[in-house]
Amino acid sequence: MKNRTHQILPTGEGLAEERPGPRRSAFLVLVLWVIALTAQGQSNENQVPLENAHANASVVENNPLNLKTNLQDSLTERGSYNFSDMGSWIWGAKTMDRQTCRFWKSFEIPEGAKVARARLRITGDNEYTLFLDGRELGRDAEWRHLYEYDITALLSPGQHILAVEDYNSFKEAGMILGLQIGLADGRKVSVKSDPSWVVGCDGVPGWENVRDWQKMSEPPPSWPPGTIIAACGSGPWAVSPWFIEIVPPLNCNVIPFWQTGWFQITVLAVLVMLALVTLWVLTQLALRTKEQRLLQRERARIARDIHDDLGMRMTQLVLQGEVAVSEVPAQSGLHSQLSQICEDARGALRAMDEVLWAINPRRDNLREFTTYVCRYAQTFLKDASIQCTLDVEPEMSSAAFNLPLRRNLLMAVKEALHNAAKHSHASELSLRIRCQGQALHVVVQDNGRGFEPGLASPDRNGLTNMSQRMNELGGRCLIKSQPGQGCSVEMFMPLVNSRRNLLRPNWFRKFSALMTRKSNQPPLAVSQETPILHDQANQTLRQEPVEDRAD
Amino acid sequence: MTKPIKPSAKNPLKIALIEDQPKARDNWCRLINSFPDLSCICACKSGEEALRTIPEVPPDVILMDIFLPRMSGIECTAQLKAMLPQTPIIILTAMDDEELIFMALEAGADGYLLKRTKPADLRAALLEVLDGGAPMSSEIARRVITSFRTKAKTRDKSLHLSTREEQILLLLTKGCSNKMIADRLDLSVVTISHHLKHVFEKMHVSCRTEAAIRYMSLHNPQD
Repeated sequence: MKNRTHQILPTGEGLAEERPGPRRSAFLVLVLWVIALTAQGQSNENQVPLENAHANASVVENNPLNLKTNLQDSLTERGSYNFSDMGSWIWGAKTMDRQTCRFWKSFEIPEGAKVARARLRITGDNEYTLFLDGRELGRDAEWRHLYEYDITALLSPGQHILAVEDYNSFKEAGMILGLQIGLADGRKVSVKSDPSWVVGCDGVPGWENVRDWQKMSEPPPSWPPGTIIAACGSGPWAVSPWFIEIVPPLNCNVIPFWQTGWFQITVLAVLVMLALVTLWVLTQLALRTKEQRLLQRERARIARDIHDDLGMRMTQLVLQGEVAVSEVPAQSGLHSQLSQICEDARGALRAMDEVLWAINPRRDNLREFTTYVCRYAQTFLKDASIQCTLDVEPEMSSAAFNLPLRRNLLMAVKEALHNAAKHSHASELSLRIRCQGQALHVVVQDNGRGFEPGLASPDRNGLTNMSQRMNELGGRCLIKSQPGQGCSVEMFMPLVNSRRNLLRPNWFRKFSALMTRKSNQPPLAVSQETPILHDQANQTLRQEPVEDRAD
Repeated sequence: MTKPIKPSAKNPLKIALIEDQPKARDNWCRLINSFPDLSCICACKSGEEALRTIPEVPPDVILMDIFLPRMSGIECTAQLKAMLPQTPIIILTAMDDEELIFMALEAGADGYLLKRTKPADLRAALLEVLDGGAPMSSEIARRVITSFRTKAKTRDKSLHLSTREEQILLLLTKGCSNKMIADRLDLSVVTISHHLKHVFEKMHVSCRTEAAIRYMSLHNPQD
């Protein structure tokens, strides 16, 4: 504490008369300089709860000291600078150099009251930091500056905690504070620095280790009451403040929701969950891919085993049988029996070929499917003496066409071919396979005698089977026929959603089929829907009305 | 193949067989010999042996198993074709695998037979190949067209398909038989066979060198 040469002035009155002229101007320069420094310091300090640069500007505006050359004028103008509402200078039991002292005080705003105005003034020798309910309101390091805080907005009914940390560099030490609260109903609450405060400083065991002492609702245990060093305006600080710094009104620190703990925890939790889910999905995908690869490898192995071992033996069997046939006289019964065995063995080989075709992962594409179906149709119809013509895209796409799809579609095509061979009496049959956009279009058309779809006998399950198969694949099957005009079976299978369709529940498929039929009718579904055969629940065989047959 | 061969009991068709399974080899021989006008004059158990012995006893037709240990049937075909360009080679296969068959045809084979073919059909097919009419399925025809089209830019004109040949191949891809094609194009069945033979020859010439290199290391084409 230096330079305590000024006269004691318990109130603000008569401050100017005591001062000689030249000293006054020097004093004013000093005041302006300090204000500038303080303003700068405040704006730089994050912890000081000035809202923003705008608030800083209002410091200047609110503070006429900055503009007025006459300090006396400014003080009288404010009219409120009597220090009767200030407390006393208080400190711990012992005063030492380089000593920190903590002050704690709780006060109560009555229930239901509304705070009209709350003004807190404070200064400390040498440095103070002021807390309200654990929140730092401000700090300063010059005891000659009195700070005035407007904390109206911060006070609500209930208990509040004032806390001050003060640091003394050397010699005299003290803190002085006064809080005036005017309630809307006219009542007043006043808090002053006095022995009702508790003090934590050297000599109080464990005082430094009290956590969150600034916001403790009970006084920190074993802290003794404060000691009055001097009354306001007396003792070593018998001098008026050089100036009074009026801090702009403090607002409730509304923490944006994204800065609140619970929000951050929620976001973090969500992110962790997301990461976990992603990880899980990725693992599943990787596993599935691996499974698929393993499955493919296994299928390839089985195919190779069947081909290399079983196929070889069966071929040998046929060969041996044929040798035996050739060495037995043609007239004997043994000859025909042996021939029959050879024929059966060939049949078994053909069946095995089909199994091999289905198993082999190399065949899981459209091109292989087309090749196989064409070959099957040609071989099969050759035996039935029906001329088969093919209409296949020369460059069939090699897009993936997985096992369940190609197998089921093959079965459906076979069914159509068998029907034609058995019932149509046709001489020619055309097989058309086209890839239209994202769908495969297979048409089997014969020039046979045809039939009346409405009168088709109920034992011809082939037609039902075909439609059922196509429905299971998410596709459609349309059978058109008229007596004497042949028969055409059109199968339409979407390639994109085919896999999803297999997984979808039945009701969903029906519903979506209904919706798509309503909204955009594909060329195949022009016909009205009339069940030809049994009235089974999932029977969706469609019949083209006679008058619709323009072709 | 320049002079038409008319096999008879007195002058049977000489057949060389390459098959690695001893039992199967024996059965094939017996089966071939059971026809009076066919005679198995040479049965080899590997491609290497075939390359050594077959050129010395030139047969009329060679039957070649497609899967052979070490040197594959396809590679052996390519090498034998270089030594005996006039002798037709027929590939024997257990399965109707167009990809393999096409590879064999590219390498120089003149036709293929399923091992489970009935003996009567075997004889018919042998005679058909000798007449120059290699039977061609629609899928093989499709592959032949594609193969010629992709090579059209780099090869010399004499190896391109003629319009007629392409026409015939296109009809084959539509599943037409040689007879139907003949009807449709107003040609004789023999002419169609000749055209097809020509197609094969062009294919062999354009592929031979490539094929020899390509199949040198191919032992088990199934993999």
